[in-house]
Amino acid sequence: MESRENRLIAGKGQFADDLDIPGMAHLVFVGSPHAHAKILSIDVSRALSLPGVIRVITGSDMRQHTKPLPVQANFKSPDWIWRLATIYAMPEDKVRWFGEPVAAVVAEDETTARIAADRVVVTYEPLPAVANPSAALEAGAPKLYDDWEDNKQVHLKFDWGDPDAAFAEADRVIQVSHSEGRVTGLPIEPRGCVAQYDPKRETLNMWGTFQTPYLARHNLAAALGIPEARVKVTAVDIGGAFGLKIHVWKENVVALASMLTGRPVKWSESLRDFITTGPHQRDVFWEGEVAVKNDGTLLGLRATVTHDLGVESTNKGIAALSIFPACSSPPNMYKWKGMHIEGIGVVTNKSFYCAYRGYGKDKGLKFIESVINRIARELGMTPEAIRFKNFIQPEEFPFHQINNYVMDSGDYPATLNKALEMADVDSWRSEQEKVRSEGRYIGVGLVTTIEPAGVAVPNCQMGGLTEARVQIMPDGTVEVDSDRTEIGQGSEISHTQIVCDILGCLPEDVYIRPVTSEWIGQGPLSSRGAVWPASAVAKAAKMLREKINRIAAHFLKAAAEDIEAKSGEIFVRNQPEKKLTFKALAEKAFFFPGPRGLPKDMLLSHGQLLDVTTTWYSPTTPESGSSYTTFCSSADIAIVEVDTETGVSRILKYVHVHDAGTVISHKVIDGQIHGGIVQGIGEALTEKLDYDAEGNLLNTSIAEYLMPTAVEAPEIEIAHLETPSPFSETGSKGMGEAPIIGSKAVILTAIEDALTPFGVIVNDSPATPERVLRWIREAQGERL
Amino acid sequence: MQEIQEDSAMMVAVNLKVNHKDYRLEIDSRATLLEILREELAFQSVHRSCEEGECGACTVLLNGEPVNSCLMLAAAADGAEIITTEGLVRDGKRHPLMDAFVDLHGMQCGYCTPGMLMTAYALIENTAEQVLTDAQIRKGIEGNLCRCTGYVNIVKAIQEAKKQRDAGNWW
Repeated sequence: MESRENRLIAGKGQFADDLDIPGMAHLVFVGSPHAHAKILSIDVSRALSLPGVIRVITGSDMRQHTKPLPVQANFKSPDWIWRLATIYAMPEDKVRWFGEPVAAVVAEDETTARIAADRVVVTYEPLPAVANPSAALEAGAPKLYDDWEDNKQVHLKFDWGDPDAAFAEADRVIQVSHSEGRVTGLPIEPRGCVAQYDPKRETLNMWGTFQTPYLARHNLAAALGIPEARVKVTAVDIGGAFGLKIHVWKENVVALASMLTGRPVKWSESLRDFITTGPHQRDVFWEGEVAVKNDGTLLGLRATVTHDLGVESTNKGIAALSIFPACSSPPNMYKWKGMHIEGIGVVTNKSFYCAYRGYGKDKGLKFIESVINRIARELGMTPEAIRFKNFIQPEEFPFHQINNYVMDSGDYPATLNKALEMADVDSWRSEQEKVRSEGRYIGVGLVTTIEPAGVAVPNCQMGGLTEARVQIMPDGTVEVDSDRTEIGQGSEISHTQIVCDILGCLPEDVYIRPVTSEWIGQGPLSSRGAVWPASAVAKAAKMLREKINRIAAHFLKAAAEDIEAKSGEIFVRNQPEKKLTFKALAEKAFFFPGPRGLPKDMLLSHGQLLDVTTTWYSPTTPESGSSYTTFCSSADIAIVEVDTETGVSRILKYVHVHDAGTVISHKVIDGQIHGGIVQGIGEALTEKLDYDAEGNLLNTSIAEYLMPTAVEAPEIEIAHLETPSPFSETGSKGMGEAPIIGSKAVILTAIEDALTPFGVIVNDSPATPERVLRWIREAQGERL
Repeated sequence: MQEIQEDSAMMVAVNLKVNHKDYRLEIDSRATLLEILREELAFQSVHRSCEEGECGACTVLLNGEPVNSCLMLAAAADGAEIITTEGLVRDGKRHPLMDAFVDLHGMQCGYCTPGMLMTAYALIENTAEQVLTDAQIRKGIEGNLCRCTGYVNIVKAIQEAKKQRDAGNWW
């Protein structure tokens, strides 16, 4: 069978925009030009008068025909705040952010729909907007949700270990702060889908950019009021996702359009709409104090992280949920006495917040890494020395971290040592000294991080569901189903490899089926792929292998334990001439019942059915409450030169050492590392969604939202350590997020290191040339 | 309220040679080359993303040079020879440039890939028998954004394809 790579490279990809169903109509959204305004009226008459326009759907239709968007995460605790709003997929009364869809035009073709969208006349009464958390929390600030007391959606408080004891022991307490700009993960392919409602069967079929079809179906069915059993959601080829295609919301409007018009309806989002009305991330501000001993021993942290969540409206608690990992991730890979962390989420008149590579765990890690480097500088230590002093040691695993993480395995000192050796840090430090006299500023950045992977959170939709099926067809080909959609991250390569390794079949005989909502699971989010679905697939394959061994033993007249399988052949150990192909075995298994075929006991126990469906659950989560099952680790070292005339930062060298446990596929892992690192560099240097004080998004195009091109992206040197995870079925660890965490942090700390002579503290991102120059001026001004 | 001016449809005839085949088409004069290639002629490898010439996903070869097909009116391409990714496949065989991308994992989600291939093809053709440095490759593909690969394996794949070109394994 042709692999996905060979199909896509030849131009045979079938992405959402390629979907073409006979009779299909096209849908285009109309967005609000205001960040906050009352909707006084919507006049659709001129749009409807355009030939080819079928219908215009507005917020009133949503209220009439659908239910409010379903709650996805809701946490109540006596001294916590957790608020949710009642919202439909499009508003009837007021808009709360720039670009928010207020109407959707359905027409015979997309061009007509676009022209008609310009003919929809919406009359607004603008309201004062709040575009940042401090404005939103001021007394008397305009409220986004009338029934809330104020704009604070979430306030969580955590005590890890004994924070008071930690501070009591401290030689010194250092004040720290740290900010991150608002970004979008922005894959090159925007979102899109086709909805086809069958009014006779009362079923809904949807195909599109669904990163998590199982959850998408649940949420669509709930909002549309259709039983889940009558809804099927299928993921087509997806042009990148990075978390941004988990959440469904506009898709409700597309489905309703099909229900109301009786036509299949297609929606292909424009990239501008994806930026303006897509999920955003980061945009946090940390403030706190850290307790240390003078010898560099880390003791404790007290900190508050404030999130600018944008509107709450569309994902019902999933944005807020990301505050948990932001609060729980600061301990990273070090030993601490205690921490007190508070997480605040504030709603503002901006697009909503949802997953993007890192989700929340990245925030605590980047913050603490920046803090540790600052402590090292204050104590006159190298960044590596302070880490070696505080690392959890290889023999301490599984390690129960103060935040309840049960960390599986790792060798942090070896990981960092390898990176130090590859980067030749000492030479660069000499070079740094030498060139300073020439007015050149080189910085050596060093960051180490874990990657908590494979989330399972009780009391919400991220509960850790996973199912997989591996079956052998009568012709010997192998079909694999799971919840792990292929979003470019290598699901198909990994699952093919796992199945071939266990069954002994050939890769060209394995077909990884497109993921549909029929398979239970949260999909590839929180780097679950190599933990949950891969474990479920491996477990199913192992069970299937036992069946193969028993059947082959019968036909080859050998003991089941002597059956081996390799390169598509099943044979008796040390007697390779006694063999069967998968095709021969499968034919016999399916079509040769007794008495001359398979024995009675095998038939009665269904041993001949070469089809296994199974489930998998983390061995640590139920007992410990550890939300994550595996913990990758990595060390990043970057050498950056900052031009103090122009403010431009240039990466001279980039080294990344990674431990993802047992490696399933090197090319997949390296690809994830490369891509994550460059996305992190984008966040560190150029990417920022700029809202003005009135909530207008100023950069709605990739001409202005600057993601790295091949010119800005550096060469990347990678090395791997492999400390297998005892908790996953394959020994592998979920990966793909550590690179974006480490790279963003390491570039910023390298810039800070380069600007040491100026006394610049880099505690905001991105470090654009304008900002770098301003930081230098401000730092010098303060000293004068 | 200002009245929005809407252009109305006007049909024009164009002759295009796409992937070695001649087409005579009656098209809407407002249609972009992207729209005609994707929708009229069903060359779906020509991907749509930003529609403003920034991402490069819709890159095709127009008389051998890469262009953003989203920015060009199809009518303006009258008489031109166009190659898309489908046109690199010969007798069902993948082009050596494609093999290089697959073998070296220069593709992840695959959305930017067809456009990237077109730019890479022109870059390699235009530097035949000359040295092509990694820096030149990076500069050459600057107009094709990729969010998955960090460009590392794309650069490697283009270097490998360049070797194939210079060894004569090419068309």
